Amino acid sequence: MAVLAKSKNDLVLNNQEEVVSPGREAWKSFKKNKFALVGAGIVVFFIIIAIVAPVIAPYGVNEQVLSNRNAPPSADHWFGTDDFGRDILSRVMFGARISLWVGFVAVTGSIVIGCFLGIIAGYYGRWIDTLISRIFDIMLAFPSILLAIAVVAVLGPSLQNALIAIALINVPNFGRLIRSKVLSVKQEEYIMAAKAIGMSDARILFHHVLPNSLAPIIVQGTLAIATAIIEAAALGFLGMGAQPPEPEWGKMLADSRQYIIQAPWTVLFPGVAIMLTVLGFNLMGDGLRDALDPRMKS
Amino acid sequence: MKRKSSFIVSILLVLSLILSACGGGGKNEAAGGKSEKSGPKEGGTLIYARGADSISLDPINVTDGESTRVTMHIFETLFVYDDKLELQPKLAESYETSADGLTWTIKLKKGVKFQDGTDFNADAVVFNWERWMDPANPYHQGDFPYYPFLYGGFKGDPKHKVEHVKALDESTVEFKLTEPTAPFISYLAIQMFGIASPEAIKKYGEKFGENPVGTGPFKFESWNRNDKIVLKANENYYDKGKPYLDEVIFRVIPDNSSRLTALQSGEVDIIDNLNPDDADTIKANSQLSLLERPSFNIGYMVLNTQMAPFDNVKVRQAVNMAIDKQEIVDAFYNGYAEVAKNPFPPGLWGYNNDIEDYKYDVKAAKKLLAEAGFPDGFKTELWAMSNPRPYMPQPLKVAEAIQADLKEIGIDAEIKTYEWATYLQKSGNGEHPMGLYGWTGVMADPDNFLYPNLSSTNTQKPASNRAFYVNEEFTSLLDKARVTFDQEERAKLYQQAQEIFHADAPWVTLAHTTPPLGLAGYVEGFKPHPMEKEDLTEVYLNK
Repeated sequence: MAVLAKSKNDLVLNNQEEVVSPGREAWKSFKKNKFALVGAGIVVFFIIIAIVAPVIAPYGVNEQVLSNRNAPPSADHWFGTDDFGRDILSRVMFGARISLWVGFVAVTGSIVIGCFLGIIAGYYGRWIDTLISRIFDIMLAFPSILLAIAVVAVLGPSLQNALIAIALINVPNFGRLIRSKVLSVKQEEYIMAAKAIGMSDARILFHHVLPNSLAPIIVQGTLAIATAIIEAAALGFLGMGAQPPEPEWGKMLADSRQYIIQAPWTVLFPGVAIMLTVLGFNLMGDGLRDALDPRMKS
Repeated sequence: MKRKSSFIVSILLVLSLILSACGGGGKNEAAGGKSEKSGPKEGGTLIYARGADSISLDPINVTDGESTRVTMHIFETLFVYDDKLELQPKLAESYETSADGLTWTIKLKKGVKFQDGTDFNADAVVFNWERWMDPANPYHQGDFPYYPFLYGGFKGDPKHKVEHVKALDESTVEFKLTEPTAPFISYLAIQMFGIASPEAIKKYGEKFGENPVGTGPFKFESWNRNDKIVLKANENYYDKGKPYLDEVIFRVIPDNSSRLTALQSGEVDIIDNLNPDDADTIKANSQLSLLERPSFNIGYMVLNTQMAPFDNVKVRQAVNMAIDKQEIVDAFYNGYAEVAKNPFPPGLWGYNNDIEDYKYDVKAAKKLLAEAGFPDGFKTELWAMSNPRPYMPQPLKVAEAIQADLKEIGIDAEIKTYEWATYLQKSGNGEHPMGLYGWTGVMADPDNFLYPNLSSTNTQKPASNRAFYVNEEFTSLLDKARVTFDQEERAKLYQQAQEIFHADAPWVTLAHTTPPLGLAGYVEGFKPHPMEKEDLTEVYLNK
């Protein structure tokens, strides 16, 4: 394709500029978007925090000092302590591990399952398309958090089950996205050509159809991580996600909500952490969409 | 209905005139204090918000306080404990006992009617007793857990100690027991033994728990599970002119903070089991008042003595030493509790103050655990109820603090929570390794704390002895105390029993609380009762 494009450019424009790969081009346009860069910065920041948390956290994550409960922010405890006298800064740092882990793993899971189902539906069509698409429709008919609660209620409350629930509820989004992409890609001449030379379906699907449908998945995936983090926090808040004493941000909010008047820092910092990561992923996702979507190019 | 509301309006009008004539400064006295010059006001709806719903409204088929909190207004017992914990006759007039302590003759109040219009008399009392004690009785539907706690089993069981219950005449009942029973009259004051209308039992059968009919000041109106129970004043109540209220609603608001908000916004009139931390918020609000229920309970953690590794006494003792009770009580009870070392509260006779509680000592605990064969600890579960209880206002917080303490000696406890009814059911079946639990006394007698919760006779599933603690020496001391009439002798037996309990460590005793209640300032005549048996007949709304 690159070769084709190059010769076309030469022919028409006789151009003086150096020709760039689509990836490079996307990066250039992404770089120009200040908000996107800020978003990426926030995300990278939290990823680093999550990785080095055990090294830089000033206290043990479950180190309980009941005599020093709900202490305001100070030099010893930058973010104050919660109602068990645990250091909130350390807990927020460790919480980043949980939230990012849930976000990445759940979304990767839904991409894998969603892509698989979406490609089959889009490529083969007919009854299998109807079946898969209707299942997606049914799943999308439920408010996503309700569906997640139902899944956790069946599996039992734990972080792992919350992760499975979040992965499941995001499957139809990806499935539908890739299905529509496949529908248009499969009409392309190079697919016809591949078929004509007798290539196997699997090879066509995974070597030609999938790579050419990936751009919207990357964008949607980044945005979905943001929602997944919020959903994990929501499940944690409802007591259906992370179990005590895990420092999950949503759970920290729920546990401290009764002290919102007396000790506002106990809810402020986990809340801000959720807000910032979600904002970061959203800004980055928007930037990626602008960079990757050909229609958005100026 | 219409006539009634216009009646209320006119009364309110008259009262407001009187009040303004008195130049009433509008300042509300704390509830329970002196009544205003105008006297009690009639009418109105009192809304009492609590953390969990009742399980059944047939009191004999429950053991939990959230059920009897409602049934005690519908049903009355023969005798009753007043708020000073002294026995008073209620449906009874007087009693006599034979010299051998086996025959008890009880004279009943005359002219009392059940809420369905049928007569309360000796036959009704006998009918209720036949239903409770005889498994062959057609109306003996359910578990009747409290009956065998007190009477050694049901009719036909070898240890059952009621020989007969007979109506001597219209208003005299004779009880013949097979062995002398010192606290018999206080047994009759337990709210589980409220006298129900025989006609209603015959009519509703198994559904009686949803259609309760008794002689009490309030009658049952409706029940929306996990939402509210509505009671209406019994117009034919024998104590003329009472109750003052038209209606009482028991609402369920599981979250402590939401319950407080409901009180602050005037949505409800009384809340119980508030977060101890919120007591100060109520104190600071001039529209609200704070009452404390005198302490008559114990909050504890049971260790399931029939489940490994808690079948090992060293493990149980190690757990006792690993938990910093003082810190937990300071942190999560905000001064409304004291640390417990015995299985019943210190105010009650028979309390053994010589017992020295397990000291918080992580090293010693680790050593004991190693001796028991668990040098690296083990994995287990810690169960906690999802709703607050009077003896445990914040069960999840307490569980999390205990979890952290146990982690120190290598015990990795996963916290499991269930809502109240499920919790009672599952823990009664012994599915828990460790679990938070508690007890509020319904009799001013150590027997009521020890026998249901620790006697080996109560380990059959569904069990009330949730530690599944079996020690025949301990149980025989309790049995002996039951047939001894001299209170000093009995106190000695109970003190011995507490020593055995301490050594065996089937529980981690945590706290005796003085549970705070929040009231709207206009609620008058509400007297907190140590046994949570707040009588509402004389409560009125001064607004």
